[in-house]
Amino acid sequence: MQTIEELTDQLKAQIIECLHLEEVYEDLDVDMPLFGEETGLDSIDALEVVVLLEKNYGIKIEDAKVARKILYNVRTIAEHVEANRAK
Amino acid sequence: MNPRVFITGYGVITAIGKDGPENLASLLDQRCGFGKLDILETVHRDTLPACEIKLHDHELCNLAGVSDGAGFTRTALLGLIAVREAVRSSALSPEDLRHAGMISATTTGGIREFERRFRDVQDLAKNVAFPAYLDTADPGEHTERLADVLGIRNYIGTISTACSSSANAILTGARLIRHGVFERVICGGTDALSRMTLNGFHSLLILDKDHCRPFDENRRGLNLGEGAAYLVLESEASLARSGKNAVAELRGYANLNEAFHQTAPSPEGTGALRAMREALQRGGLTPEAVDYINAHGTGTENNDLSEGTALQSLFGERVPPFSSTKPYTGHVMAAAGSVEAVFCLMAIENGLIFPNINFREPMKELGIRPVTELKRGVSLTHILSNSFGFGGGTASLLFSKC
Repeated sequence: MQTIEELTDQLKAQIIECLHLEEVYEDLDVDMPLFGEETGLDSIDALEVVVLLEKNYGIKIEDAKVARKILYNVRTIAEHVEANRAK
Repeated sequence: MNPRVFITGYGVITAIGKDGPENLASLLDQRCGFGKLDILETVHRDTLPACEIKLHDHELCNLAGVSDGAGFTRTALLGLIAVREAVRSSALSPEDLRHAGMISATTTGGIREFERRFRDVQDLAKNVAFPAYLDTADPGEHTERLADVLGIRNYIGTISTACSSSANAILTGARLIRHGVFERVICGGTDALSRMTLNGFHSLLILDKDHCRPFDENRRGLNLGEGAAYLVLESEASLARSGKNAVAELRGYANLNEAFHQTAPSPEGTGALRAMREALQRGGLTPEAVDYINAHGTGTENNDLSEGTALQSLFGERVPPFSSTKPYTGHVMAAAGSVEAVFCLMAIENGLIFPNINFREPMKELGIRPVTELKRGVSLTHILSNSFGFGGGTASLLFSKC
């Protein structure tokens, strides 16, 4: 069974890869807002993360308002994945 | 003085009717085209409703007066049905058509047909005639088809600027007339539902699975639709010669790009505000003169807040009566601008304001409320119609009673 820490590290790596952040961030601060002014990432980038969560964890996100809460930062993503993962 | 541009006829097909009178009757009865998808082949049939025209392609061929199997895409068929009605209602002769120009808009063209054959095309063993399908993915293919059938030889143009497309077709036609290039231009747009559109909007998380609620605090997104509409624009000189009565005048227009984001409008509604302001300026009017606004009002969180903010910025405390007619027809994408232009013309001709159904609670950020009851016997002199699109395009048209 994967711990939340291991899951968080795995998610960080997957997000960095899927959003091509390798040259900007070596490591992601779990509390840093993932989208918006700090990172310059926007709603189109968020779609990539939605697809990532569906493909790797079987999690479907279909409501934009809910998505905004889940995708707020790495910590919120990890908590949602841990509670809802189907694989 | 600028030469004036008049509208002398129109045609429309949507999920609420296959011609103008049917659409008007549905609007008066507040009958909406929203429901389960029956005709588009999609795995989302049970979960993503839309405003679909409940006619199969062979039935559309019949209505359009072309033979089934002549290679017309659904987009072209819808366009042909609406454009034929426009030509009839403006009583254009074959001679008139020969000298006319035509500008048509689409976002999807023949994508619907192409996606049905996509896997066949990929399978080399099947040896499918590839180029025959590929042609219809060109947005201009449908315009050539329509022009061919109508006998328009002089000039054709195609515009594809997402959901502001047919508003841009109309204002481009108006410019051609104002500059003396043509005396008559047929302008509008057409779009059939396709899996690409449905899946694309679904991925963006902006489809409401229930009936859309434009300008409501609890709105959850838009419903897609399909349809087509065309307007016949004529110069003042042409009108004087023929002695025809115009339906209305296209008094002003504006289109610009706010260059904010690929799919989201700016929160301040910068583009929407400027489009409305510049359309009024071109028409020599101040905001107080506006009697009604047919809003873009898609029902998405972003659009309605952005457009509502622009309305408040332009009109201040006195926002004129406004409504979105998208709950009736769905968002018909490239055809939205011309379909809603036709609804504005119906409003002017009949003294009506069509209500923004499904609205209950105002957005908490703004103090505006759309019209929610059908209004009859209203004297409408000047109407604005807004059409905004992905990519930052914002257009506004100003129609005036003659």
